Amino acid sequence: MRRLLLPGAGVALIVLLAFAAPLLPLADPVAQDTVNRLAPWLPGSPLGRDEFGRDVLSRLIWGAQSSLQVAFASSAIACVIGVTLGLLAGWFRGVAEFLSIRSADVLLCFPPILLALLVVTLLGPGTGTLIFVLSLLYLPNFIRVAYAEVLSARNQDYVEAVRALGASPARLLGLTVLPNIAGPLLVQVSLSIASAVILESGLSFLGLGVVPPTPSWGLMIRGARATMDVAPTLLLWPCLALTLTILLMNLLCDALRDALDPRAAAMQPRLRPIDRLLPGLVPPPQPALLEVRGLSVEIATPGGMVRPVEQVSFSVRAGETLAIVGESGSGKSLTATALMGLLPPAARASGAAWFDGRNLLALPEDQFRRLRGGAIAVVFQDPMSSLNPVHRVGDQVAEAILAHRPAIGAGRARAEAVALLARVGIADPERRARAYPHQLSGGMKQRVMIAMALANTPRLLIADEPTTALDVTVQASILDLLARLRAEDGMGLVLITHSLGVVAEVADEVVVMYAAQVVEQGRVEDVFARPLHPYTRALLAAIPDGDREPDGIPGVVPRPDSWPPGCRFAPRCGHATERCGAEPPALEAALGRRVRCLRWRELPA
Amino acid sequence: MSLVVAERVEKTFGGGGLFPRMGGVRAVAGVDVTIARGEALGVVGESGSGKSTLGRLLLGLLAASGGRVTFDGASLPPPGSRAWRRLRARMGIVFQDPFGSLDPRRSIGAQIGDGLAIHLGLSGPGRAARVAALLEQVGLDPRRAGAFPHEFSGGQRQRVGIARALATGPEFLVADEPVSALDVSIQAQILKLLGTLRRDLGLALLFISHDLPVVRHLCDRLIVMYLGRVMEAGPVDAVFAAPRHPYTRALLSATPMLDPARRRARILLPGEPPSPTNPPSGCVFRTRCRHAMHACGDAPPPLRDLGGGQRVACIRADEIG
Repeated sequence: MRRLLLPGAGVALIVLLAFAAPLLPLADPVAQDTVNRLAPWLPGSPLGRDEFGRDVLSRLIWGAQSSLQVAFASSAIACVIGVTLGLLAGWFRGVAEFLSIRSADVLLCFPPILLALLVVTLLGPGTGTLIFVLSLLYLPNFIRVAYAEVLSARNQDYVEAVRALGASPARLLGLTVLPNIAGPLLVQVSLSIASAVILESGLSFLGLGVVPPTPSWGLMIRGARATMDVAPTLLLWPCLALTLTILLMNLLCDALRDALDPRAAAMQPRLRPIDRLLPGLVPPPQPALLEVRGLSVEIATPGGMVRPVEQVSFSVRAGETLAIVGESGSGKSLTATALMGLLPPAARASGAAWFDGRNLLALPEDQFRRLRGGAIAVVFQDPMSSLNPVHRVGDQVAEAILAHRPAIGAGRARAEAVALLARVGIADPERRARAYPHQLSGGMKQRVMIAMALANTPRLLIADEPTTALDVTVQASILDLLARLRAEDGMGLVLITHSLGVVAEVADEVVVMYAAQVVEQGRVEDVFARPLHPYTRALLAAIPDGDREPDGIPGVVPRPDSWPPGCRFAPRCGHATERCGAEPPALEAALGRRVRCLRWRELPA
Repeated sequence: MSLVVAERVEKTFGGGGLFPRMGGVRAVAGVDVTIARGEALGVVGESGSGKSTLGRLLLGLLAASGGRVTFDGASLPPPGSRAWRRLRARMGIVFQDPFGSLDPRRSIGAQIGDGLAIHLGLSGPGRAARVAALLEQVGLDPRRAGAFPHEFSGGQRQRVGIARALATGPEFLVADEPVSALDVSIQAQILKLLGTLRRDLGLALLFISHDLPVVRHLCDRLIVMYLGRVMEAGPVDAVFAAPRHPYTRALLSATPMLDPARRRARILLPGEPPSPTNPPSGCVFRTRCRHAMHACGDAPPPLRDLGGGQRVACIRADEIG
């Protein structure tokens, strides 16, 4: 709302000034006084006099009236008619669509100035004609913007939901569709008001708009042009007024668009200069492929610093799979993002992650880039958005090879790409390599992503929900593929997932995260056979498996800016005592694993 | 008596217009469905199986291109007609995406109240009181009616979606993957809520899911779909205990299981799902079925009754055991 204040007040001031012109103690804007023509300053005329000796300030303010009148009126007319037509065209399609979209296309075919000239010639110059011309010019833009927005909005579930309730089209379009397409329309309004002011000036300058001696900014510019050498400031004032008005209009519409969106309250995190990281400790001697020690992530938000990942430690050996599980908001994906060096600028990682004797968390970006896609590879959840839609998949795999081994040449890279596609189980790889992403199924695209990840025989693969977007039968074959690759290449795998079933089937080690912390960590068979932490138990009980009826966990994961004081799971835990709510538990060794619970010894098995 | 009955219902998308020969997609190809009051029917299938289209056909949101759907004994009126709009009060739908299915620009109270305003003409305090009662019914704080969707978690939004669907007191509810976008811990809560509401309100429920285990505790019967056809149908317990169709078996075996003892040998389906514009002749599953033989390509296998209400569309169901 604060953002609305400044531009809103500015625009209001201009409009008020323009329409209060008759009340203001201004000189008559059309009264000529040839004795004082081009006077730079006179008592009562702070901005001087123009080529006929008329008061410039007075003409500027009176001119605003006609300029703004034309701009607002034409934009409003174009907006109302255009949006109505666009809504009808986008919603009912058919005849409405044909009529409004085609007529808009016809209007767009005319060069705007030519169209304006034509109409003015037919109807004669004047303010009314000008408004008519400009509304006609802006009409197609509104129709098309509204039409396109309706087309995309009508496929939204919430629109379908209101339709399923049996709402009448008028109610549906007015209450549901219109507010949701208001953003782009407001931008369009600001654009047309701004350009209408300019066009009005232009047409008036050509003598086709406002008829002299009525003042308007365009006429003022036109008049000042003749005496530019003698009195350059005459040109400056109307131009300045024009620029200021347009700028304020744009700012106002932007602010309005944000203010009308209830989501705007959830603001973007404010960026702050990233602190340099202190280098980590000496790398530990053991031969683990990846050794993560005390990884924390801090993010600067408008509400202060939050820590969505706290003190996470684990190690992954070659040929081993470590799974990180937890609900959304537990910090598991951010942990992976930090390891890949892909944190947003507002976030900062601390701790250490040793890979090959190097601390990944302190690695400069250029060195990290050489590592990513090389020794460390990444597979994301959504194969649809991770592949470039305009390149053939074979070329994209070859590109991944060439990025790290440019020496092998394009021909060999392509051959290797085909071999990789075959290796990830794509039938007929020669032909598929020439396909574009949209020609492949979801499972096949995920295989291509895995082929790209494997392009440079990585030693560590980080997979963030690699099968979540896929069907179960496809998921089964992808998991099978990952297990085979791990066995054949001795590749280490970090698997981020929310599916405990997937963990049970493919992982060796599991890290259970809750509210930024590790709550339990150990061998999968131990943890799943006898979970010690109440959260792990609750997660396992929530899965419909076998004959047992699933049990939900009451409540939701707390937000990073409001962690509970003691154990973070206590408010949702059936075993919580008063002590749990006050004393934060430490991660302690227990039965060959680690667990963060004050009561793990007492709880019934 | 059954509340919702579909007989050989079909839906073909595209394929009309100037080039009728070019690829119409038969999203649903001759499916029979009956749902009685108070009964929950699960529809299970993977992407492209036509399960969501079936849901929309039964609700009348889409007009069938073949066959017939009746609701409470009468054929569904054409979408958009006055009778159709009146009928909306008796049916409800819950969507998958808890984020996309709520209008981000209106308070949840206003959205839940939509149906009340449209069908019961309620406004002001009367509507507010009803909205509050609905919020309470789905386990939300009635004082939050003025809040906007972004202020809620995914599970809570799904509760709002359920409250909206229940506002007009429908007899038939279609839940289209209502829990698949939620965390497991939240899934169970929503399933419980749906189960309770079905029992308390005597709802006929069509529960669409790609996840077999989710259906198990909520539904009485289920149908398994593949490429627009029903592969297997029957009481939930019978199908889980002894799946008879090779596709149902593959689906069950692919579902990750926690308990190593219960894990079935994974049946990996070879190849890719066939294109829906050009489905295989005969049994549509035969291109990926390891039991397929020559005769499978001859004609689409009919749903045969195997006793106990279990029906299967496979000519070799008896041989393969």
